[in-house]
Amino acid sequence: MERAKGSVTGNVVLECRNVGRTFKGYNGGPDNEVLRGVDFEVRENEFLVLFGAGQCGKTTLLNILAGLDMPTEGEVFARGKKVTGPAPERGVVYQKTSLFPWMTVEDNVGFGPKVRHMPKAERAARIKKYLELVGLTGFEKSFPGQLSGGMRQRVGIARAYANQPDIMLMDEPFGHLDAQTRYMMEEELQRIWQKEKRTVVFVTNNIEEALFLADRIILLTNCPTHIKKEYAIDMPHPRDYVDPEFLRLRQEITDNMDLTL
Amino acid sequence: MKQFLQKHKYKLISVCSFLFVLLVWELVTDVFHAISPLMLPSPAKILETFIYKLSGGTNPDGATLFENIWASLKIALGGYVVGVLIGVPLGVGMAWSRRFELFAKPLFNIIRPLPALAWIPLMILWLGIGYRSKIGIIFFAAFISATVNSYTGIRRTSQVHLWVGKTFGAANRQLLFKVAIPTALPMIFTGLRLALGSAWVALVAAELLAATRGLGFMIQMARMLGRPDVIIVGMLTIGFIGLLLNTVLEKLQNKFVKGAKKG
Amino acid sequence: MIDTTSKSRFSIKQLTVIYTIISLLSLLVVWELAARFTSASMFLPPASQVLMAFCRSFVEPIGKHTMLVHLGYSLYRVAVAFAISTVTGIALGVGMGYSRLLEAILKPLFEFIRPIPPLAWIPLSILWFGLGDTGKFFIIFLGCFCFITVNTYDGAKNVDPELMGAARMLGASERQVFFEIVLPSSVPYIFAGLQIAVTAGWSAVVGAEMVQSNEGVGWMIVRGMSTGNTQQIMVGMVAIGIVGFILANLTSALERRLCAWNEQKGV
Repeated sequence: MERAKGSVTGNVVLECRNVGRTFKGYNGGPDNEVLRGVDFEVRENEFLVLFGAGQCGKTTLLNILAGLDMPTEGEVFARGKKVTGPAPERGVVYQKTSLFPWMTVEDNVGFGPKVRHMPKAERAARIKKYLELVGLTGFEKSFPGQLSGGMRQRVGIARAYANQPDIMLMDEPFGHLDAQTRYMMEEELQRIWQKEKRTVVFVTNNIEEALFLADRIILLTNCPTHIKKEYAIDMPHPRDYVDPEFLRLRQEITDNMDLTL
Repeated sequence: MKQFLQKHKYKLISVCSFLFVLLVWELVTDVFHAISPLMLPSPAKILETFIYKLSGGTNPDGATLFENIWASLKIALGGYVVGVLIGVPLGVGMAWSRRFELFAKPLFNIIRPLPALAWIPLMILWLGIGYRSKIGIIFFAAFISATVNSYTGIRRTSQVHLWVGKTFGAANRQLLFKVAIPTALPMIFTGLRLALGSAWVALVAAELLAATRGLGFMIQMARMLGRPDVIIVGMLTIGFIGLLLNTVLEKLQNKFVKGAKKG
Repeated sequence: MIDTTSKSRFSIKQLTVIYTIISLLSLLVVWELAARFTSASMFLPPASQVLMAFCRSFVEPIGKHTMLVHLGYSLYRVAVAFAISTVTGIALGVGMGYSRLLEAILKPLFEFIRPIPPLAWIPLSILWFGLGDTGKFFIIFLGCFCFITVNTYDGAKNVDPELMGAARMLGASERQVFFEIVLPSSVPYIFAGLQIAVTAGWSAVVGAEMVQSNEGVGWMIVRGMSTGNTQQIMVGMVAIGIVGFILANLTSALERRLCAWNEQKGV
């Protein structure tokens, strides 16, 4: 395994130490090793992309970082403290958005602050701020079912931001969107992130998306998933899909990808 | 052992909970006599009565348990078959032909909100207290569920499937029998199950009001004679037969409806 | 062929109205003629007479009361029992759906009672509660309760685990997950249960009143039976049908209002 040099500095926010995860086989069937020896750290305000093809491992890894799943080997530390369960310091944006369908957009965004007992006035200000940030002012009273896929993802991002988490974990958030909307949302996310920087761990199987967003890319291989290589990406934003450097990196990373499943 | 306990923890709790209720019941009746046996007989007494009725005892209503079950079942199934034979084609017809729907649906909608039980007096007045009136009542109970579900089932036939059928040159009749009805089969089966449930419930009600044999009659007689043990035996039998009928239809559904989840 | 396009010059809506009038009128005419000119007149009063009697029943008493009082008795019994079963059914359903322990303790008992039709409890309830209203509340309660419990239970069991996960990630405590996520996402299921329950409750009150009562619509029709008064039975049936129709539609209208978010699926 090679480490990328330089480019990213700052305090370590999240450490993933030698994490492995094996699922017990059903009814005495063979065990399924999904993750093996995954070891990396995430630094403050960096945009880290976990990139890999195929089905297994990436979501499991993200769930472990979130504290929704426990590794069978190794440990995860958040700011030096061992992760033992989900916590509001780590916000998650899912592929399916997981918006609460019976709440309006503003109630969805305000959910985190509400359950953490933030006073009403402060909460309203925060909802306003983040709906503005994601460009959804005017949709406060809509229900998620009335919004398009891209708009729902914006609500999901605003909801994660509104909790002001220490780190945001995004699990293929644009995976369900059509190509056009996907490009637009990638640009939007980049704009939002530039405006209010957060530490982000972003999972994707789309190389263009990875290169467009990332400060650093960790290339994962399949079954059991482990780290193959790291790339520091220091092209300036906004990036251009047909820039020679972009294309070169794209070629290099895809060449290194493990396409067997 | 410990692993076994852990694995079956909730099952064990279920069993314990059930046994606990039986135990308390037995204690307040037979042991401490806190409740009069005329109000609530003990589980032991109920079991005794059950065995007595099962093994051919005819007291207090004049028939064994099996004779009562058979009397009820015969009538329930009779009315059910008539209800289904009319209800399913009616539902399919209303969903398939717009003209027929326009004409028949208002009539059906008049009958629909009326509980089957409300037909009992009229049926008894018209057809007497014999089996014919009860078949009439059960017919209404079964007929409505059968019609509603067949109708909805056909209506939910995906337009795409019909288009595919059409582009392959299927005639209207073929579309109905080869596409629409097979798609609707899970719904229709659900309707058949609901219909059987309603039929069974309606039968009990009819027998409570007017009968000379059957499970409903048995519990009504037992009430008049102050035999709560027989009432409870009758209730449990009614519940058990209802469950059994449902299970049989479920098995049939799983056998006949392939490639589709039950609706 | 399911044909949603119409070739005639009337819209579907107009056609529906026209055909409804035609089909209902032909029913009434056939009924009226049969009752007046055939041997069916022995047991079938003419439609016009039944309708007249129905209208009269609101001013002239049947038995001791006018129609509205009878309906009032029946509706009061349903309302009380329905309210009790709603509270207990939702509590029990959500409890069993959310807590595995409660499920393990209560489900076998519930499953034991569930297949017994509510009307089969009538003899026992008369022994226990006598002939008054309490026994009827009990029967109607049983009629509604099972449907509400089963549906609520399904709803609470089927809460999207990702939504619960999302709520926990946002900092919700277990209590908040229960009240903010499990309960609201069960609401459509609960409403489906309430809708079946209200119909079942209406049916149960008719049954209970038929077996034992001195007033109410169930009494009205069973009294008509024992006095051989077909017209009174039919008047009662008209009332039962109309109220049944209103009750069923009232709950679905309420559901559309309260669960507006559930109209657009696919979130």
